Amino acid sequence: MTPGPPTKPGEGEAGSRAMPGDTPPLLDARGLVREFAGLPAVDGIDVVLPPGGFLVVFGPNGAGKTSLLRMLSGGLRPTRGEVRLGGEVITGGSPRGRARIGVLSHQTFLYGHLTARENLRFYGQLYGLKDLERRIEERLVEVGLLDRANDAAGTFSRGMRQRLGLARTLLHDPDLVLLDEPYTGLDPHAAGVLRAVLETLRDGRRTVILVTHNLTQGLELADTVAIQVRGRFAWEGRSAEVEASEFEVFYQETVDRIESRR
Amino acid sequence: MSLYLTQLWAVAWKDLVVEFRSRERVGAMAAFTALVGILFNFAIDPTVVRPEQIASGLIWLTLIFAGMLGLGRTFEIEAQDGALQGVLMTPIPRDALFLGKVLSNYLIMMAVVLLAMGVFGVLFALDWGNPAVVLATLSLGALGFTAVGTLFSAVSSGTAMGGTLLPILLFPLLVPVVIYGTSATNRLLADRPLSEVDGQLRMLGAFALVSLFVGAGLFRYVVEE
Repeated sequence: MTPGPPTKPGEGEAGSRAMPGDTPPLLDARGLVREFAGLPAVDGIDVVLPPGGFLVVFGPNGAGKTSLLRMLSGGLRPTRGEVRLGGEVITGGSPRGRARIGVLSHQTFLYGHLTARENLRFYGQLYGLKDLERRIEERLVEVGLLDRANDAAGTFSRGMRQRLGLARTLLHDPDLVLLDEPYTGLDPHAAGVLRAVLETLRDGRRTVILVTHNLTQGLELADTVAIQVRGRFAWEGRSAEVEASEFEVFYQETVDRIESRR
Repeated sequence: MSLYLTQLWAVAWKDLVVEFRSRERVGAMAAFTALVGILFNFAIDPTVVRPEQIASGLIWLTLIFAGMLGLGRTFEIEAQDGALQGVLMTPIPRDALFLGKVLSNYLIMMAVVLLAMGVFGVLFALDWGNPAVVLATLSLGALGFTAVGTLFSAVSSGTAMGGTLLPILLFPLLVPVVIYGTSATNRLLADRPLSEVDGQLRMLGAFALVSLFVGAGLFRYVVEE
């Protein structure tokens, strides 16, 4: 099935819902707007996801994807709009909200002079985790780094650091996982290894939002897909309704159409 | 241990481990302190000026410049691979993060204080009189300096000017530390009674407390967007 015509859900509107559903949403973000120096980076986006939802957001550079994720994580206060997680308002960040969210970007947030185990222990202490050593062991096993647990993170390859970053992201068992371009700088092999680890996130327990340029790998993981251009969701749909082989052309046409209006 | 103290100590421990392994700050601060002590030793003619009369000012200025070297880099380790952003995404209270950074900076600073006492004590043949009170004076001054310096290091690290901005912001605020610190140390080196430095020590203590409270309160506005 083709991705479907650009039926303009959300295009030109004040917002769009990524995934309405019958289940009470875990993430309920409405009317998100973020302006920098008066210019909107995010211009009225709704993201509503149930527990276990997996949304992948594609978009060109400068579309406001990172700003969107930072607002959802509480790291950036929206100019307008509200973010709720499990019914609790977390707009602009709250300690309880942060404890339920895990974030991984192309930056791993790791300290190169600390070992893999020490990095995880440090972050675990900041989250106030019980049974921390067991959690660290489990996460290191999951990302395949147990044998390098006592090596400094600064000696790791880019791919290994990214896997350790994912272990850090999942250490506190977050309800919402936000992944911002996690494949950046990875060679195909390392990207494949990371993808296999990300595949384990589709366990129905966690809600995941992945922002990526990698259309193929994004489509394989998603159950909902959105294309963000110029701060808005220009298109969104179920990944099951999308034909991967035709999506690239559709994506490019959608981006070109919106960008040409500049 | 409460969660707050666990988080505070985790930040301080992490900074100290990173410093112990990289030795980026302590090495530079220690070398600066030793070299300045040696240069002052050559620069001062003891037949004209008695070293103990000017040692107090030299020690305090050496500590402040050496401390500036270290404080200027305290948020550099957080900038690598976006670590500060990762820390800010955890539930750690921002004041605990600030106090953890102050604690690690203070412990590093105290190592430099002890080194300075040794270097200047030997090269200037100083009679410390009551070394415990001299150390207490330097410690109180260092605490206030470290608290203010940590806050302004966070401010300057987020600007394009970076480390260049730090001394411009920091020096005016350090006037009380220099005035009361040098005054107290001068009198102690002159073997004056402790009652003569009581007021200076109280002022240094008050400056340290105010710096810690104000820094803890303002830190979130510096690091959060």
